[in-house]
Amino acid sequence: MKLSITDILFFLVPTIFFTIILYVMVGWTFYISFSDWQGTAPNYNFVGLKWYQLMFKLDRFWVDIRNNIIWLLVGVGPTAIVAIFLAYILELKSTQRFETYIRNLILYPAAMSFLVTGTIWSWMYQPDKGVINTILKWANLGFLTSNFVTDPATANYWLTLIFFWQYLGFSVIILQSSLRTTYLKEMVEAAAVDGASRMRILFNIVIPNIRGGILILISLLLISALKVFDIVYIVTFGGPGYSTDVLALFMFIATFQQHLVAVGAGLGVIIFIMALIIVIPYTIYAFRRWFG
Amino acid sequence: MKMTLLDTLFILSLVILTIGYILPIYVMFVTSLKTPLEITQRTYLIPGEPLQFQNYIRAFELIFPSLINSSIITISVTAISTFIGGLNGYFLSRYKSRLTKVLFIFMVIGLFIPYQVILIPLVQIMAATKLALTYLGLILSYIILNVPLASTLMGTFFFSLPRELEESAEIDGASRIGIFFKIISPIAAPAYASTSIIIFTQVWNEFLLALTLSTPYTTPITVKLAEIKGSYVALYNLQMAAALLSTMVPLLLFLFLGKYFVRGILAGALKG
Repeated sequence: MKLSITDILFFLVPTIFFTIILYVMVGWTFYISFSDWQGTAPNYNFVGLKWYQLMFKLDRFWVDIRNNIIWLLVGVGPTAIVAIFLAYILELKSTQRFETYIRNLILYPAAMSFLVTGTIWSWMYQPDKGVINTILKWANLGFLTSNFVTDPATANYWLTLIFFWQYLGFSVIILQSSLRTTYLKEMVEAAAVDGASRMRILFNIVIPNIRGGILILISLLLISALKVFDIVYIVTFGGPGYSTDVLALFMFIATFQQHLVAVGAGLGVIIFIMALIIVIPYTIYAFRRWFG
Repeated sequence: MKMTLLDTLFILSLVILTIGYILPIYVMFVTSLKTPLEITQRTYLIPGEPLQFQNYIRAFELIFPSLINSSIITISVTAISTFIGGLNGYFLSRYKSRLTKVLFIFMVIGLFIPYQVILIPLVQIMAATKLALTYLGLILSYIILNVPLASTLMGTFFFSLPRELEESAEIDGASRIGIFFKIISPIAAPAYASTSIIIFTQVWNEFLLALTLSTPYTTPITVKLAEIKGSYVALYNLQMAAALLSTMVPLLLFLFLGKYFVRGILAGALKG
């Protein structure tokens, strides 16, 4: 059908307008990171890598990088692996009647904010009068108690557990839809007739055939783990010390509390580059699906 | 029947998941109905006696203004960005040209730009235009950030719609805009519902922008919750009641429109 100018104006211009604003702001952040802006008043004098050099000398920056990597690995890995097993188990005939129950059970946190989740879990984790330790002691399992998020050595891992809790249902849903293609179902049935065990079917047939779904899931999880801010803000605020600090939180603190705006922008740039690396495979996959 | 490894795994995960997902919300609910004194007795699994329903009245009084603020912001953002995203998503699903391809790439990357990346310029714009003093500051910011999401979700749905209906209307000489409103939009109602639920939940639950761009008069619910957690440190009953009340809106949407919620999540994973 012929396209008129009115059509383009009407369908595309609003989105193009907002998209341009979005990318102008990204470029603006890049520029600020090379400027001499500290304090509350903007200062756009170009000083090159001055503030990056300062940033790279900060111990806190490297702790953040380490913590972000922990989030990307320990937040995403177990969530994806458990989700694959769970999604597969839920597709087996013997478990069908529990499917709706489990799906709703693990999906409801997806509707909640990290603020609410964080409020609950801060209290679950409280070392001296928190819920988990109290219940463990009451059940005579005192040796299992832990200092949770107040122990710098393990605090990050307890935080990623909250992420796992919140994203498991979401992950299972995404994988389930990949598992439900007729083609895959037929292959699984054929293999079962041939006497292959269900574990073998999972590793040799199911996983190789849902690669697309797994790629999408891992991209979505990685980007959520990279952006993580709310959980850390509400549960530990980066503490003890800055042992659970992440780039996203440091960016906020550097900009709005320490007024090192150029450093804040530099952290924004680092976050953007990491996000871009994560998003590229997703973008290619999505592009092929739309225009391929 | 022989128990296989998978059966054992299944029973184990059934038990662990049930405890892991029911316990936090159960303890939260029970605690929200106790007195501070009862909470110090640390019988977290046992409900207090009598149940303190007035905690909810007090929590509600505390968060009521921010519930209103969040509603105004979230409903505006959801309606506007879903509408704009619908237009764009439809166009992208029907035309292959260099323009649509480039726009698509920028949109998909835009979908995932962490808010920290644009936070400083955004605050500058909103301060310079004085929009930060009103609801408009947050509303506009969220629209900018949610239009790419709305476009992708709506586009994914439009892709799965058959073209026959449009083709016959085209032969009758209907305009593109006419076709979109008269033929496509009514069929796409479920898609609009799914996209709206996803965006609504996301905006309602957003914290970073809310924290930086809100004034005492426009405080959204997430910021209010953080404040309550900070200023009523020992009053866990109040914290829990406020957190539960704040999550009622998205949770009720999830309970009653769960089908659309799930479809929205799947559209985000590019499955229409």
